[in-house]
Amino acid sequence: MTVAQEQQINQRGASHEEPVREQLVLGNPSMKDITARIASIVESKITTKYLLTLGLTMSMAGLGLFALYYTITTGIGVWGLNNPVGWGWDITNFVFWIGIGHAGTLISAILFLFRQKWRTAINRSAEAMTLFAVVCALTMVLSHTGRPWLFYWLLPYPNQMQMWINFRSPLAWDVFAVNTYFAVSLMFWFVGLIPDLATIRNYVKSDLAKKIYSFFSLGWTGSTRHWHHYEIAYMILAGISTPLVLSVHSVVSFDFTVGIMPGWHTTIFPPYFVAGAIFSGFAMVMTLMVIAREILDLKQFITLKHFENMNKIILATGMMVGYAYAMEMFIAWYSGSQWERWIFINRALGDYAWAYWTMVLCNVVSPQVYWFKKARRSIPLMFIISIFVNIGMWFERFTIIATTLHHDFLPASWGYYTPTWVEISIFIGTFGIFLTLFLLFAKFVPVIAIAEVKAIMPGAQPSHHHDHAHAPAAVEAH
Amino acid sequence: MSDRSLHASNGTTWQSLEQLAGTQQPTGEFGPGQVTGALVDSKVSRRGFMTIMSASMALTAAACRRPMQHLVPAVKSNQTAIPGLPLDYATVYCHRNVAYGALVTTREGRPIKIKGNELHPSNCGTSSTEMQASILALYDPERIRRPRVRVGGGATSYDNAVSKIAAAIQDAQGAGKKAVLVIDEHCSPSMAAMLTEITTTIPAVSVVTMPAIGADNVAVANQAVLGVNGELVPDLGKARVIVCVDADPLGTDKLALHHTGRYAARRTPASGAPSMSKLIVAEAQYSLTGANADQRTRLHPSQVEAYLAVLESEILGATAIGVDVAGKASEATRAAAKKAAADLRAAQGEAVVLAGRHLSPKANAMALNITNALGGVGTGKVVDPANVLPNSDAKGSAVSALVNDLNAGSVHALVFVGVNPEYSASRTFRAAIVKAPVRAAVNLYEDETAAICDISIPGSHWLESWGDAVAFDGTLSVRQPLIAPMNDGIGSTEDTLMNVARKIDATLFGGAESYYDYVKNRWTTVGDWQKVLHDGMLASPLAPSTATVNAWAGASLPAGNMDTGMTVMTVPSLALYDGAYANNAWLQELPDPVTKVVWENVALMSPEAAVAMGVAESLQPKALANANGKVVSIETEHGSVDLPVWVQPGMANDVIAVSLGYGRTAGGSVALNAGVNAYGLSGWAAVGYTAAKSVSVVQGALHKVACSQDHHTLDDGSGERPVAKTLTVGDVEAKDFSSLNEHFPGAGDDGKYIKPLSIVADYEYKGHRWGMVIDMSSCTGCSSCVIACQSENNIPSVGKEQVLLGRELHWIRIDRYYTGSMEEPSTVVEPMLCQHCENAPCENVCPVAATTHSPEGLNEMTYNRCVGTRYCLNNCPYKVRRFNFLNYTDNITSPMDLVFNPDVTIRMRGVMEKCTFCVQRLHKAKWHARDEGRARIKDGEAITACQEACPAGAIIFGDTNDPESRVSKARYGERGFRVLSELNVRPQVTYLAKVRNIDGRTAGHHAAADHGAEH
Repeated sequence: MTVAQEQQINQRGASHEEPVREQLVLGNPSMKDITARIASIVESKITTKYLLTLGLTMSMAGLGLFALYYTITTGIGVWGLNNPVGWGWDITNFVFWIGIGHAGTLISAILFLFRQKWRTAINRSAEAMTLFAVVCALTMVLSHTGRPWLFYWLLPYPNQMQMWINFRSPLAWDVFAVNTYFAVSLMFWFVGLIPDLATIRNYVKSDLAKKIYSFFSLGWTGSTRHWHHYEIAYMILAGISTPLVLSVHSVVSFDFTVGIMPGWHTTIFPPYFVAGAIFSGFAMVMTLMVIAREILDLKQFITLKHFENMNKIILATGMMVGYAYAMEMFIAWYSGSQWERWIFINRALGDYAWAYWTMVLCNVVSPQVYWFKKARRSIPLMFIISIFVNIGMWFERFTIIATTLHHDFLPASWGYYTPTWVEISIFIGTFGIFLTLFLLFAKFVPVIAIAEVKAIMPGAQPSHHHDHAHAPAAVEAH
Repeated sequence: MSDRSLHASNGTTWQSLEQLAGTQQPTGEFGPGQVTGALVDSKVSRRGFMTIMSASMALTAAACRRPMQHLVPAVKSNQTAIPGLPLDYATVYCHRNVAYGALVTTREGRPIKIKGNELHPSNCGTSSTEMQASILALYDPERIRRPRVRVGGGATSYDNAVSKIAAAIQDAQGAGKKAVLVIDEHCSPSMAAMLTEITTTIPAVSVVTMPAIGADNVAVANQAVLGVNGELVPDLGKARVIVCVDADPLGTDKLALHHTGRYAARRTPASGAPSMSKLIVAEAQYSLTGANADQRTRLHPSQVEAYLAVLESEILGATAIGVDVAGKASEATRAAAKKAAADLRAAQGEAVVLAGRHLSPKANAMALNITNALGGVGTGKVVDPANVLPNSDAKGSAVSALVNDLNAGSVHALVFVGVNPEYSASRTFRAAIVKAPVRAAVNLYEDETAAICDISIPGSHWLESWGDAVAFDGTLSVRQPLIAPMNDGIGSTEDTLMNVARKIDATLFGGAESYYDYVKNRWTTVGDWQKVLHDGMLASPLAPSTATVNAWAGASLPAGNMDTGMTVMTVPSLALYDGAYANNAWLQELPDPVTKVVWENVALMSPEAAVAMGVAESLQPKALANANGKVVSIETEHGSVDLPVWVQPGMANDVIAVSLGYGRTAGGSVALNAGVNAYGLSGWAAVGYTAAKSVSVVQGALHKVACSQDHHTLDDGSGERPVAKTLTVGDVEAKDFSSLNEHFPGAGDDGKYIKPLSIVADYEYKGHRWGMVIDMSSCTGCSSCVIACQSENNIPSVGKEQVLLGRELHWIRIDRYYTGSMEEPSTVVEPMLCQHCENAPCENVCPVAATTHSPEGLNEMTYNRCVGTRYCLNNCPYKVRRFNFLNYTDNITSPMDLVFNPDVTIRMRGVMEKCTFCVQRLHKAKWHARDEGRARIKDGEAITACQEACPAGAIIFGDTNDPESRVSKARYGERGFRVLSELNVRPQVTYLAKVRNIDGRTAGHHAAADHGAEH
C-alpha cells in the first residue's frame, strides 16, 4: 500500500459516519471483508520470506538453548557473576521480560473495562506478546539458579523433606505472582480466541487444520447462548487480570525492595516498576505492531490513531519513570543515609554511569518528542523510539541490579561485573523464543480479534442484524 | 597396624577435645607408657576387617597408615584410635630453622589438620599459614613417588638409586675429591649429629647449608658485637617501643608467628591499664610490619642505614659507630630518626631496635648497640643473648667455597637434600652446579634442581618422618610422623641419607636400623621419650649467656652502600616465603596481607614512582588503578625480569619491591606460571637491595593481576565509611569511646546496636548462644585464620582465573583499609566473616529456607536444600557468603582427597556456603559434654579454627549467654563496636576497635562519615 492510498483510506475513514472521531477501522469494510481479510492470513500459503524469518528467529532461540545447556551442565560460573554481584543479566532479563508482558494485560483487561474501543485492533497480539514474554521470563528465572534441576523446590508441595518454602522470601512471592500471571493471561487470551478460532475453523480447507481449529474452538457455534456465556467469562477474566497488572510487577519489585541493599530498599519501587512495565510493554507492542502491520498488511485495522494512543501512553509512563528516577535521587539525599547517597552518586558517576545515562536518555529524554502530534504519528520515529524505550528499560533493570551489588557497604568486597558470551547468547535466545512464538502466532492464529473489531464497526448496533451472525452484540449492549 | 604404630600412638595422643579445652589430658585409660593391643593373630576377623576398611583409606589410596615395619594385621584395632573420632598427635614443625610445636589431627590414620601445640613456647598453640598449609603438600599428587637414576629415565629401585649415590661418594673418596651434601637450614640436633657422624667417618663428604633466603649479615654483626654467631630472637612482648628499620618481624620473618604473639600481647590497652607498646617502622617497602606501625617513615634504601645511624648517634652519642653513615641522612630522615629516638629513650629497658636481615653487618651492629644502650640486651631482657636461632650462623663463606670447589673441579658428587638452588641460587652458583659430574636430589618434587640431577630419590614430608628439633630458647621436641611416607615404600629423607652412608660404612650410626632408632637412641640421654612424644616438647632452659655487647667491635664492619636512584628490593613472600611450598594452592591463593594479590608476585611501587615511570598518568586513584598490570622490565647486575606493576601506597619512591618464591619452572603444576622468579635480581642470600640498572615499561603489555580485594579501595568515598574503626591511645586514657558508637548511642543487648520497636518479640536464646569478638588492635593481618578455616572447612582453592572473576571462596577474609594519604597511609585490617546476624537479611530472602537461624544463634546454611538463587549473597551487607559458581573440587585427584575434613561436607556447584562458626566443632563439644553428663559445654571447650590458629589471640569465640565466658566479657568491653550495626541486622561478631599508639584523639573523626556521599 502506498502512502497516497493510505492517506486516501484515512480520508475516507474520517469522512464516514463519525466525522469528529477518527475511524478505528479504515476503508469501511463489510463484516465479511473483515473476516476474510484476517482469515486470509491463516489461509494463505507459507512464504519463503516467512520461513527465512522463522529460521532466523529459531536459530536465535537455538543459540540461547545451547547456552542454557552449557550453563546447566557446567555451572553458573560460565556467566560473569561473582561474589558481590550475584545477579546480572539473568534477573535483568527476567524483569525486562515480565515488564514487556504488562502492556498486553493492560490493553486486554484495563482498557476493556474502560471501554477503550481502539484496543480491539491490538489486544490479541498484545496478549500473545504477554504470554511469550512471560515464557521468556520463566526461562530466565528457571535457569538462573545454581541447581536449576531443583526448581520445583520453590513450589509449596507436600514432600518427604517435610519442608515448606519460605513464605517470607520475595522470590517465593515471585513464583506465585508470575505463575498466576501466566495462567490468567493464557486463559484470558484463549477465551478471547474461541469465537475467532471457530471462524478460522470454518474458513480453513485442509482436514487437519479443520480438526485442530475445531478442537481449540471448543465447539463454538456462535449461538446467542454461547455469546452470552462468553461475554460474562470474558468480563470476569478481565476483572481478574486487572489487579494483576499492578500486582505482578509490584511483587517483582519486592525482590529488590525487601532486600536491605542501598538502591534497592526503597518504597518507590512498586509503582515505579508498574509504570516502567507498562512503558516497556507498550514500546514492545509498538515495535511488533509496526512490523506486523507492514508485513501482514493490516493498515486497515491498525491505524495511526492506534499508534498515537499508544504513544500518548508511552509519553505518560515515560514521564512517570522519569519522575521516579528524580525522586530516587531526591530521597537518597533526603534520607541522610550515607549508603543511599553514595549508591546513587555511584549510579550517576560510577563504573556503570554509562548504563545509567543510557537509561535516562532512552526512557526520559527520547519519549519527549511525543509532545508533538507529528511525532506521535510518524511511523519511522515511533519505531526508533520504541526500540530506544526497550533498550532504556533493559538498562534500568541492569542499573538497579549491577550498581547496587557491585559497590555495596564494605569497600573491601567491591567488584565489577561483565557478562560473558553465554549470558549474551541466552538473552539473544530469549528474543529468539519470543519472536519465534510470535511468528507462529501471527501465522496460525487470527492476529486481530475479528469478533471484537466487528463490534466496533458502525453497523454493530444491538438492533442491527447482519449476515454474519458472528458479529456480537457489542459490549455496550450489556 | 604394627608395633611402630602402637608405639607411636600409645602415650602420644591427646584426644581432640581435651586438647581443645587445653587440659592436655592423655587419652582416657590408655595413658603414657601403656602398651595395648595384640599384634599376633594373623587372622582378620570380620569386624577387624571392617574396622580397617572403614578406618583407613589406606587400602584405596597411597599408604595412609602409621609407619610400619611388619605387616601384621591387627585383630583388635588400636584402641586409642576410635573410628570416626579425631586423634591429635604432638609433633614439631620446622619453618626452616625455627621450631614450632604442632598438633596434628588425624582421622582414621590420615592427618587432616595441623594446629599449634599450646605447650610449645615458640608459638603457644597458634600456627602460621605455611605450617597449616603444608598438609596439602603431604597429599600432593605431584610429589615424586619413585627414584630414578637418569634424567628422563624410568623408575628404578630405591636400592639402586641409593647405591649409585654411595658409589659416587666412594668414587669421590677414591679420587681425592669431595662429595657435598647441600641442605637447607634446619634445627634438628639429631640431623646435625648424624651429619657430623657421616662427615667424620667419611671424610670425602662435607655438608653445606644453603638456605634460599639467607641472613648472614645478622650473624656477622652479632659475632662481632656480641660474640654470638647467629641470629638473636628478641622478645617483642618485653618491648614498649619497637623500632623496625626495614625489618619485618610480623610479616616475612621466619619467626613472625612467634613475634606476632609476643607483639600482640602488648597491643590491647584498656582504660584501666592504657599502656601499650609502640611500633615505629622506617622502611623502603610497605611491609606487614609497616602496615601495623603506629609511626612509619618511608625511606629510600640509601637513607635506611642513615636513619639507623642517626638513631644510634642520638642514643649512644659519642660512642656511636655509624657516624659516617649518619652523615648521609637527609633532613627528613634525621627528623624522623630523632623523633623515634625520643620515643626509644622514654622506654629505657623496654626498647628494641630491629634492623632488616638484609641490611649491612654494620647496620645490624648499630641496631644491637642501640638496644644495648637502652638496656635491652642481657639475660631476661628484650634481647637475650642466649636466645639464638639454631643453625643461624653465617653460611656465605661455605657457599662461596663450594662454588670455588665446583669450579676447580674438586667436587665429584653433589647431593641436594630438600633444597632447590637451581631455582633460588645466584647465577654463579647455578653455573657451577653442573660442574659436579654426579648430581643427586632427595626432594619432595621434581623441581628445577631435581631436573638437573641424574639421581632423584623421593624426599619425605615432615609429617612422614621421624626427627627432632630445638627451639631458639632450648625447648626440645621430637617430630613423630603421622603417616608412612607416601612414596612407594621408600623411607624418610633422613633414612635415605643413613642408607647411603651405610652403603659406605655399615658400622655407622651405632647400630641404629633407621632414623627412628637413631633419634630415639639419642633421646635416651636427653629425656623421657614417651613424655616428649606426648607433650610434643621438653623444656630445656638454656644456660644464661654471658655475652656482652662490645659496641665498638662493630665499627669496622662494612656498611651498606646503596645510592640514590631506582633500587630493587627482593623480599620473601608473605604467602610462600622462599617458594619451597610453591606447589600449594592454599598458599598461592592466600591474599598477600598487604597487597591482597594472589597467585603471583608483582613489582610494587609507590604511586609517585608509577607516575614517574609513566605507567600511571596521574595520581588520581583511577589512573593508578589503570597502572596495575602494566609490565615493567627490571634489570640489575644479576639479571632481569619482566613483572606486572602494582601500585602500593606507602612505598618509598624509587624503589621496586618484589616478592621471592614465585615463578617456578618445575615442581608441580600449581607452582607453574604463577608469577616470576625474582631470585635472578639479587645475589646470594636473595633478600635485600640491588641497584636497578634499568627499569623500562614494556609498551602495550598488560597482565591481569588477580587481587582478592578490589583495587577500588584506593577510590574516593571508601575510606570515609565507618566500618573499621580506630582509636588512639589518648582516647583509651581519657575513656572516650564515643566515636565508636556515635550513630547509635541507644540500647541493644550490649549497647552495641540499636533495637528499634518491633511488633514481634525477639527470640529468646535459652541455651547456648554463640558469638565472637575480634580484636582489631591485636590483629596484624597475618592471615593464619584464612588457612586455618580453609583447612578445617574443606574450602577449595579456585585458581587465578576465578579470583580474577571475584569468586574466591575463603570464608574469612582480611579486609584491608587505608586511611591517610596515598604517600603515608595507615592500614587497618578487619577480619570479615559471617556475622551470624540475629536479624539476618540472608535468611528471610531465601525462597527454600536453605539458610535459617539455629536456636543457638547460628546462621546456618543447609547445603542440601540450597538451589542457588544467590539472593542471600546479594542481600548480605558484609558480602561474606560464597557461591560455588563451578565445581571447584572435581579436579582433586588422589591422594589429595584425603586432606578433607570428614566432618565437613564437600559442596557441589550451585550451592552457597559461608562461615559456620565451625559448627562441627560445636557439635563435637556438645556430644562430649553430654557424655560427661553436662548440659552445657564449658567456655573454651569449643573454639573455631580461626581462633585456634590466630597468633595474636585476636579472635575470641564462645557462649554469649554465659556471662562468665571470655567472649561475653570481651564483648561488653569498651572498645567494642559492631560493623554496620545501623542496619539492624544485629551481627553477633563484635569488633574491638584498633588502638593506635599515636598522639591526639579520635573524637569527631567518624563524624566525617557521610562525607563520602558528597564527592
